[in-house]
Amino acid sequence: MSTFIQIILRSLETGSIYALAALGIIIIYRTSYTTNFAQGVVAMFNTFVVTFLFNKFGLPLWLAVIGGILSAILTGFLIDVLILRHTKNVSPVAKQIITLGLIMIVLGLAPIFFGVDPLRLPRLIESGDLGILGASISYNGLFNIALGLAIMMGMFYILQRTKWGLAIRTTASNEYVARLMGVPTKNVTMAAWGVAGVLGVIAGVMTAPMTSVTLNLMDEVQITALVACVLGGFQTFHGPVIGAYIMGIVRNLLLFYVSSVWGGQILYILILIFIVFRPYGLIGKKIVKKV
Amino acid sequence: MTKKKNIFQKHPAIGFILFGLLLALIPTLAEMGIMKNGYVTTIGGTLIYAIAALGLNILLGWSGLISLGTAGFMGLAAYMSAYLTVDLNLPFEVSFFLAVLIPTLIGILVGLVSLKIEGLYLAIATLAVAEVLRKTFEELGKYTGGFSGKSADYPTLLGLFELDRTTMFYFIIFVLVIIMILTSNMMNGRLGRALNAMRGSEAAAQAMGVNLLTHRLIAFALATIFASVAGVLYVHFVKFSYPSTWSLAMSLNFLAIIIIGGLRSIYGTVLGAFIVYAVPDMFLKQIPFFEDLSYVLNGVLIILVIIFYPNGLISIGYDIRKLFRKLTKGGAKNE
Amino acid sequence: MSKMENHVLTVDGLSIAFGGLKAVDDLSFDIKDKEIYGLIGPNGAGKTTVFNCITQFYKPDKGDLRFKGHGDQIVDLTTKPVHDIIRQGLVRTFQNVELIRELSIIDNVLIGGHIDFEANTLSQALKLPKARKEEKKYREEAEKILEDLGILDRKDMLVGGQPYGILKKVEFARTLMTRPKLIILDEPAAGLNDSETIDLARLIKRIRDQYDCSILLVEHDMRLVMDVCDRICAINFGKLLAIGTPKEIQANKAVQAAYLGVE
Repeated sequence: MSTFIQIILRSLETGSIYALAALGIIIIYRTSYTTNFAQGVVAMFNTFVVTFLFNKFGLPLWLAVIGGILSAILTGFLIDVLILRHTKNVSPVAKQIITLGLIMIVLGLAPIFFGVDPLRLPRLIESGDLGILGASISYNGLFNIALGLAIMMGMFYILQRTKWGLAIRTTASNEYVARLMGVPTKNVTMAAWGVAGVLGVIAGVMTAPMTSVTLNLMDEVQITALVACVLGGFQTFHGPVIGAYIMGIVRNLLLFYVSSVWGGQILYILILIFIVFRPYGLIGKKIVKKV
Repeated sequence: MTKKKNIFQKHPAIGFILFGLLLALIPTLAEMGIMKNGYVTTIGGTLIYAIAALGLNILLGWSGLISLGTAGFMGLAAYMSAYLTVDLNLPFEVSFFLAVLIPTLIGILVGLVSLKIEGLYLAIATLAVAEVLRKTFEELGKYTGGFSGKSADYPTLLGLFELDRTTMFYFIIFVLVIIMILTSNMMNGRLGRALNAMRGSEAAAQAMGVNLLTHRLIAFALATIFASVAGVLYVHFVKFSYPSTWSLAMSLNFLAIIIIGGLRSIYGTVLGAFIVYAVPDMFLKQIPFFEDLSYVLNGVLIILVIIFYPNGLISIGYDIRKLFRKLTKGGAKNE
Repeated sequence: MSKMENHVLTVDGLSIAFGGLKAVDDLSFDIKDKEIYGLIGPNGAGKTTVFNCITQFYKPDKGDLRFKGHGDQIVDLTTKPVHDIIRQGLVRTFQNVELIRELSIIDNVLIGGHIDFEANTLSQALKLPKARKEEKKYREEAEKILEDLGILDRKDMLVGGQPYGILKKVEFARTLMTRPKLIILDEPAAGLNDSETIDLARLIKRIRDQYDCSILLVEHDMRLVMDVCDRICAINFGKLLAIGTPKEIQANKAVQAAYLGVE
């Protein structure tokens, strides 16, 4: 039983990471009407920035993280302003391809900036464990879970209760109408890319200590986040987040009880089977198209 | 009053065959010393990539669907053919058939799951499937050799003709030309029109009787078949397959090929393959830093082409022709 | 259960609601053979929803939709998926003229022949004689239709960039290619000027006479409707207001009130 709790606790931590990434994807999806396949590599890039600031420039970790956040906001803005702004006449499919091209650019630039050797990024809280119900979780893990939840609560609060959130939701629902109603949609999309970038780098900084900082750092998170959006449905903001936590838990359960090698892959296959039965995800709704 | 069609427009196959004959000169040029010997391998690989990219073009260019699993299926076929010929000693033809059939069946299964809803789901599903395949290549060492990779050899046709690098090169050209002809026939006929309709307006396509799910599946099946064929050719030409080859980066390069070369253009696909693979390998490697930059450049090119030149660089040829016609006719009487 | 002797379509008690809002409410009407039938109503009356239900783009909540298709076969439309409707002989045009910009005009028309082709993909790929003959036959049929509509000379030009009037004709050609029994025209006069609308009226009548079909005209332009329609069905808020000849509809108080507002 305590192993089970252990697994659940760890899953909440990885689930938070997936949830942050998924939230980043769904925010872009609903405001720029495109699936940002590059979310993961951009997060990797910005995590490299944090690592560099920490390792090569010797900044304290928290300062390095802030540097990474600033870098993430900047990269998000740049992507929106330099590229996405010019895509008025581009079809949604082509926009997705642009994000794929973006992956190539980032994957090509990262080694040039940061070299090819794996780097280490330590945890925010170095050591210490808490015992819960016979299982233990590191303070760092707890912190990650709490931070993840806090960020998500904050995001949902902003979305539901503030004027900015209303602007985002309106733009997400219909950009043309939003503009007519005076919503500054250009700023909304720019802000969305900035926020997505920040969510990405936070997810990256949480992931990095568990492995090492390489080009592939966020690959698994990225795929899982996308699949979480499939699982939770693309129609809501909270669907993918819920999907992400579920995937985090199921993944660890599979890894432990079924196969420590194939657990992740089995999860993907299970979800593919799942959408045969519930094509619109756990929460998604079928959209009625007007012709 | 109909526009007179030249012979290449009425019978595109002739153009493709001539193109193949031209390509067949390359090994001779290498032997004569006009071209570096290593280029034969590079160009052979480029033509193989063009085959896979043509399949992706049917899927994306004609049907408007993104797949991120091209490299995965190509790798699967490569490993299968290597295993079937080397470990099970099956004749090349049998191995070729099985190594194309089985990935295609898997592809159809994946398609059935993800194509019912929207095109977007196919992209994500193929991403997940490619990841599963990657893990399979790494872990099933008994069949794939794991991280050490798997080797194969030049094929033996009909149990009699043992190919070498040059004759294998000819074989690749042969397969490419056939694929170009088949693609042209299909895309210029009823299937191509239906796929175009599906891409252009799902509502209109359905109103005209086009079953969306069926046609999406056909497109994805064709893409997987072409990728598998390319995989088999790859492992019997390059003679080695590593798990790291079949990465998302490769799938993205295929995307770059068709975007840069030209969506819905057969010659454009080959052009794109040369731009993405052959040109950097043959000419630009000498420039310092280029190795890292070429990948970045492909990405930048994709974005620039999509925004500014959506028909791909192949349309530069058409534009030049149009400009030429305009200048010679004095700009008069356009249709 | 009527035998639909001289009717091509009967709509009986059609109803559909979207999220609690009744878009169409218990609507019934019928269209005779070789009839030009108008469906009118103010903006938001539900006209588009009505024919989206008929063509099974939406599945109606309630109602009978009986159609006399090819070979005088009577079909319950609600049993068919949307891409099968055209096989029965029922085809629609699109207000937004949904043509494929990257294809030529004749290729767009040939999409209308999609369901008629019998040669399978493999024989197309290999350009076997049967596939080649079919392609030639349908191409000639498409050319005949284009010639009939006066745009044969443009047949190899790409749809993208053509003037709006030409696009409308191409769409007509595409629907005629399907050899329909009933054509639903979705606001064909939208974006046309007066003289173009007069040409359109003539074209609609000629199509009905020459191609032996019925036409359901969903339209805003009252002059066009009154000019070409044999009978008209007026609806508002998804409910039936009146059915009758143009004269009768024009004189109908309820219809007047719906358009002009209650006195």
